This record gives sequence, structure tokens and C-alpha cells, in this order.
Amino acid sequence: MIDCHAHLHHHSQDDWERRDRNLIEVADRLGIDQLCCSMLTPRRPATPEGFRQCNAWVAEAINRFPDRVLGYSYVNPGHQAEAIDEIRRCVEDRGFIGVKLYNEHRCTDPVVVPIIELAIELRVPILHHAGHMHYVPPEQPLISDGGHLAELARRYPEAMLICAHVCGGGDWEWTIKSLRHAPNVMLDLSGSVIDDGVVEMAAEVLGVDRLLFGCDMSMTAGVGRIRAAHLDDEAKTRILGTNMRSLLQRRAS
Amino acid sequence: MIIDVNAYLGPFAFRHLRYQAADQLLTLMDSRGIDRAIVSSAAAITYRNPHPANTDLAAEVAHHPDRFIPFAVINPAYAGWADDLASCIDLGFRGLRLYPKWHNYELMSGLCLDLIDRATDRGMIISIPMRVEDPRQRSWLVDVPNVPLTELADLVAARPKARFHFVNGRGFTGSVLGQPENGLPANYRIEISLLNVHLNDEVETLIANLGPDRLLFGTGMPFQYPDPALAKIEVLAPDDVLKAQLLYQNAAEWLDPPIS
Ligand SMILES: [Zn+2]
Repeated sequence: MIDCHAHLHHHSQDDWERRDRNLIEVADRLGIDQLCCSMLTPRRPATPEGFRQCNAWVAEAINRFPDRVLGYSYVNPGHQAEAIDEIRRCVEDRGFIGVKLYNEHRCTDPVVVPIIELAIELRVPILHHAGHMHYVPPEQPLISDGGHLAELARRYPEAMLICAHVCGGGDWEWTIKSLRHAPNVMLDLSGSVIDDGVVEMAAEVLGVDRLLFGCDMSMTAGVGRIRAAHLDDEAKTRILGTNMRSLLQRRAS
Repeated sequence: MIIDVNAYLGPFAFRHLRYQAADQLLTLMDSRGIDRAIVSSAAAITYRNPHPANTDLAAEVAHHPDRFIPFAVINPAYAGWADDLASCIDLGFRGLRLYPKWHNYELMSGLCLDLIDRATDRGMIISIPMRVEDPRQRSWLVDVPNVPLTELADLVAARPKARFHFVNGRGFTGSVLGQPENGLPANYRIEISLLNVHLNDEVETLIANLGPDRLLFGTGMPFQYPDPALAKIEVLAPDDVLKAQLLYQNAAEWLDPPIS
């Protein structure tokens, strides 16, 4: 099992070490083998120093928990040159598996383009924070939703995009429907919302091969909704790990 | 044995529910080993006059008195609520579900306290969902806030004889309701479907602060999948005594008369 969306704790939290260890212990209890982790700056928009520090700490965690923690390189696309450098360093030197983008810029903003192109070149996925709220959250005026990710995917069919936490991003029926015709967007099922029927609807509309198991730190929610879903074991195996593994295998060595 | 203290029947205004009929919910309960469920009407949440939804619910559960424990949805700000309460008691309802934010009244208003007192005299539990759905997915038509924990704390202090049952909540450890020796009567129980285990230790902290008898197993079916709540018990309680308390004993004792 691979959790496609997890977070390590920023070292400004005094008990970050215990919390990180706790995350691995919970994963053990629930049978989660690997966690694809990013670390966000406590204050955003992130500065280059801020995201570099986060990624350096993720690199340390990869060493501390070998083969359990996989890393996404978190950057703020607004600092374009630094972001590009940082992604290259993380993916090429540190073995990170992909890129994590948050809400500093909408995913269709031209400032994001070089990052998309770099991820295409490196053949790594971009996990993009997303949500469709009918009341736009004032603290996230530039949040992307499934429609924006579908538009980006249409412009860059070679990009591997992951639409984050459908179960923590508002109207999940809207999100699922918006992604139907965007085959290069995978859907991350993570989030704290445990609404009935999400997984089955996503499987029906998008197909099981586009679904990724994830928790986004809501561990019993993440595991519980897959257990609950009316899908056969073969489909669940793909969602729980096979799909993410084949995404990761596409990277340029 | 498992008792689910947080379930619903009937349609909801803003989303299709796959198991909204009694026979559908029973199938789901059977598949998860859930023996009994406290249920109220989901339609009543948005009906202006909720009472017809209570009578619909009573008719649905009448064939399965051994499986469903019906709770009535009463709006004390709506005409005729006292008559509706009396009729629900005649129909065998064992508790109330209150929606102060959806139904636009204050928990501490005279009418609501009057409703709570009358229901308490008749042995009913007062169940208050902190929310119906996650606020991030609310429809463009509604802007209903969660019930703040501070309002619940004021209410339990004001009505020590009543028995309260809070469902679909979280954040209790940051509220006086979740603190040890908080000066509040021990007249409330907390349902676990949205609480965190392990990572934020919300359930563990509540057990330590309030005692193991104050938490109740609930799923939020059919709005929510039942399995996350079951997974919480699984990772939390290797110890069979605690597991039994959470899964059914606490709920069985909390109902009046208790379920045996
Ligand atoms: Zn996110």
C-alpha cells in the first residue's frame, strides 16, 4: 500500500520528531508500506529559503525511514528560478518522486508553466492541492479545482497530474465529474471527509486506474473508505498501490 | 454486538444517499456486523415543518423494532412542536435530534430549553449533530455554520439532568467539553465518527480526560462510510474491554431503559 499524499511535520513544531515517528507507526498498524510525503512551510506563500528548508528536512526523513518515506519537492512557483533549481536538485540528486504544489498560484497561471515542463522532462508527477467549494475560501483565493487541472491537462497531455484530496476539497461530485475527460489527471482519494459513495463514483466515472489511495493524515478515513467501497479486490489493489507504483516507474531513471 | 448511535433514514436535500431506505440501511448494517442503530430522518433537516418526516421514519422502522432506535427531529421554533413531541413519544421515539443552526434557533432559548426539559422528563436523549456535512462542500443555497462547542458546553451546564449525545463533532480536546475536571456535569456522551485516533490522539485524550464510558461508536451512515469508524476502534483498542465499551456497552447503558 502506498499513501500518495502525506505530510511530515515542520521542525518549528517542537514535537515534530515524535509526530513523524507516530505517522510511521500508524502506517504500520494500517498496513501502509510507503508514504509519499511533502512538508509545507507554516507560513505561505513560501519563500525560497522556506521551501528549500522543508525539502531538506524531507530528504533527512527519507534517510531516517528508508523505503518508507518518499518525497515530493514542495515549491512556490512564484519564485520561478529558485523553484526550478530546487525541483531539479530534489528529483535528480535526492531521489524525490515528484512535485507538490499548493495554492500560491492557480495551476493554470503562466508562472506555473516552467514547472509543468520540468516535471514532464523529468517524468515525475505533480500533486496539486485542489478543491471545489461553492463558497470560495477567503484564505485560498487561488485554490485550483478539478476543472483547472483538467484544463492544464488538456494543454499538457504528457504531464502526470494528481488532483489532491477529493475527500478534503469540497464538492467531490463536482470534482469527479470535472475530471472525466482529462485522462492524464489522477485522482487522490485522501481527506478527512468520509462520505459514502466517493470511491465508487470515482471508479465509475474515471475508471479504477486513475484512482490513488491517500490519507492526507486522516489515516482511518483513508483506509476506511477503500475498505468500504464496493469494488473487487483487484480494483482495490490497483488503487492501494499498483497505480501509484506505475506512475512512479515512468520517471527518467 | 455493535450499536451505531449516529445513523439516518430518508433523503437529504443536497446529495443522493445510497442507503436511505430502511431495508438498504439494514443490508449495510448486516454487512458490517452492526446490530442496532439510532436513526433520525435526514429529510427533516431541511423540511420547514419537520414532523411529517418523523412519521415517515416511524413507519419505516416499525417493521424492525429490534434493529432501529428512532430519534425525532423537532424544531422548537416552529408552530406545534409540543404536539409533535407528544406524538413522537406515542410513536416510540427514544430521543431527539436538534438542528439549531439549520432550524434557526438558539439552544439556550426558552423554547429550546422547554423542549429539552419535556423530553428529559420522558427519558429521551438529546442528540445534537455539530454538523450535517463537511462545511467545505455546502451547497450554494445554504450557509449553515457548525454548532460551536462553546454553545454545547453552556447547554450541558444549564441542564444537568438532561442526557446529551453529540454526533458528527470534532475538536473536543480543544474545548472545555474535553477537559478533565471541567466543572461540567457528566451528562454528555461524544460519538467518534469524525474524531482522530493516533495522529492527533483525540479519542485517546478524551478517554483519558473524561473516562472510557463517555465515548460512543457511531458511523454517520448513510451519509458516511461505516468503515472509518470501525477502523478507529481496530487501531485504538486491542484491549477487548475497551472495545466492548465503545462498540456497544456505553450506548446500551446510556439509553433509558438500557438495552440488554
Ligand atoms: Zn492539499
